[in-house]
Amino acid sequence: MSKSAENHHKKTVEIFPNDEKAPATILVVDDSRVVRTYLQSHLQKEEYQVIEAKDGKEAIALLSDDIGIILLDLWMPEMDGMSCLRYIRENFPDIPVIMLTVSNEVSNAVEAMKYGAFDYVTKPFNPSELLALVQQAIRTRIQARRLRAVEAELLKSREHEITTASRIQQTLLLGGRPKNLKGMKIGDLTIASKNIDGDFYDFFMINDTCLDVIVGDVMGKGIPAALMGAAAKQHFMGALFRMARISEAEELPSPEEIVSQVHGEMIGRMNELETFFTLCYARFDTSRKLVSYVDCGHMRTIHYHSDTNTCTLLQGVDMPLGFPGQKGFRQILAPFTDGDLFFFYSDGLTEAKNPTCEFYGEKRLTDFVQGHAFLEPQDLCRAVWKDIVKFSQAESFSDDFTCVAVRIEMPEPEERYNQEWKLEVPSDLGELGRVRSLIRDMCRGLGSNLVDDERMKMIQIVATEIMTNIIKHAYQERPGETIAIEGKTTRDEIVLFFYDWGIEFDFTSAPKPVFDGSREDGFGLHIIAHTADYVRYSRDSSGKNCACVTFFLQRRG
Amino acid sequence: MKLFTENIDGIMVISSLPKVLDASNAMEFKECIPRIIEQSSQAVFDMSTVQFIDSAGCGSLITTLRHLKGAGGTLKLCDVRKQVRSVLELVRMHKIIDIYNTREEALRSFSNEP
Repeated sequence: MSKSAENHHKKTVEIFPNDEKAPATILVVDDSRVVRTYLQSHLQKEEYQVIEAKDGKEAIALLSDDIGIILLDLWMPEMDGMSCLRYIRENFPDIPVIMLTVSNEVSNAVEAMKYGAFDYVTKPFNPSELLALVQQAIRTRIQARRLRAVEAELLKSREHEITTASRIQQTLLLGGRPKNLKGMKIGDLTIASKNIDGDFYDFFMINDTCLDVIVGDVMGKGIPAALMGAAAKQHFMGALFRMARISEAEELPSPEEIVSQVHGEMIGRMNELETFFTLCYARFDTSRKLVSYVDCGHMRTIHYHSDTNTCTLLQGVDMPLGFPGQKGFRQILAPFTDGDLFFFYSDGLTEAKNPTCEFYGEKRLTDFVQGHAFLEPQDLCRAVWKDIVKFSQAESFSDDFTCVAVRIEMPEPEERYNQEWKLEVPSDLGELGRVRSLIRDMCRGLGSNLVDDERMKMIQIVATEIMTNIIKHAYQERPGETIAIEGKTTRDEIVLFFYDWGIEFDFTSAPKPVFDGSREDGFGLHIIAHTADYVRYSRDSSGKNCACVTFFLQRRG
Repeated sequence: MKLFTENIDGIMVISSLPKVLDASNAMEFKECIPRIIEQSSQAVFDMSTVQFIDSAGCGSLITTLRHLKGAGGTLKLCDVRKQVRSVLELVRMHKIIDIYNTREEALRSFSNEP
């Protein structure tokens, strides 16, 4: 490189601190030595460095990002100008190419421009015209480089932004786990995917006995989803605070009222933004031993029952927030007892895939939680994470991994109300009366101010219906099988357990009741569902079926 | 199962129904239905003795109603205890079977019909 060329180089370096080399090298491609020499001498006078090739093949061998522009003859042996141009456009799209042509071939030169040539000059050359064109091409090349540098810088800062946003989400947006709760122990775990996304959760301590847990997932990914999650949380906090103040002396706003309020506040904006989020809002009330929850299309929360060592899934009836036409939200009640566990999670858990593209799935997760419910909530969250890592054979997932475990730890106080009853009867419809007597005794033990005669009869009907179902369906009317009945009473509720070792009950095959007088069966389940306050059915691994019904003795939820 | 039946102007009034009408005796109860229809297709069940009914018991009432309707008549109930009535309402049977407070009202309702 000549001395003046070095100066030129330095000047360029000042403008492009990121560039190692200035784009002042010109590749001249022409089969005529005369033309090459002519161009070289003119260009070097202007302080450009020139390298030469006598045909397309040689030119391709010399190509690199260090080349500023290319002067390319249209007609050459060994790969002509057009083929060479196509190769350059594909592999070095930023290098401007000026075509060299003779005057009677201008139409070919124009054709070349369609393929991406920068411009063309006709032989014989007018030196000043040629140099003006070269300068223009060099400027284009410089701008292209600058653009690439800016793009790279942008990408870097975007990545940085995502990392920062993800850190903010982890540290500030995901709720701090409350400690020193009375009657509950909480575990939580969130592991961000490579990209930030819209999982959120939070805890609100309402009072000594009430804890609200919200878990949500915003549609989509990236910073917009995370921001929407943050906005949703803020709305929930605001709604809770405002509504609690308005009804100061009265009762707390219920989960369904809070969700309705937030939905009303956000629906307009969410429709504009064309987004929505799934949500589970659960209030744990240890004084009433009851969780009341609103589920808006979220993953079904796992409820582990310590008394039967089985799990049920909490599922609500509402659509995700942001769906238009949503009118009101319905909250559902589920009683809990000491040792019960609730496991909330995002779809990142169940949708984790193994190398054969199989989902981890709800069943596997439920089974795992049931099998490890003895762990401390925090350890359970970690154990679930490890199991999913083992399953998917990958440490990072495409979705965020978020889970919250709530365990109830409230041993029953010894009270005169707390009584247990047991009875075993053979699978015979003639035993229905004995079961009803048991219920009568249980209710009388509580006193008539807690259970009046009418309520007692309704409880007896539910027991009769369950017994009949077991005898007719689980045992297929086989005599001599055993049905075990357990009753528990507290000041708040009567809980009945019916155990059998027959066929598993299939809800989907049960006939739907028809009320027009055309059918005489199918009413049993309807009566149970509309009389008991809470019903659950489970089958454990040993094949023992359990139907459990709860009757609240005071207004709850 | 022994049912006490009276024929009052062509309408069968059945009383002495069992105290409990549930899955344990619903089959037995249904077997008595043909004996009622033999005599008349119009019937009134005096429910005052029934203290407890379950879905199977409700089902046997529906079976009776269907048989009587098939013979061109109908079934009406009277003197239904509060708790039994709430079960009938729970399965919406009050929409398909007329329920009267007293036997007299039930009997009168037949003559009011065309």
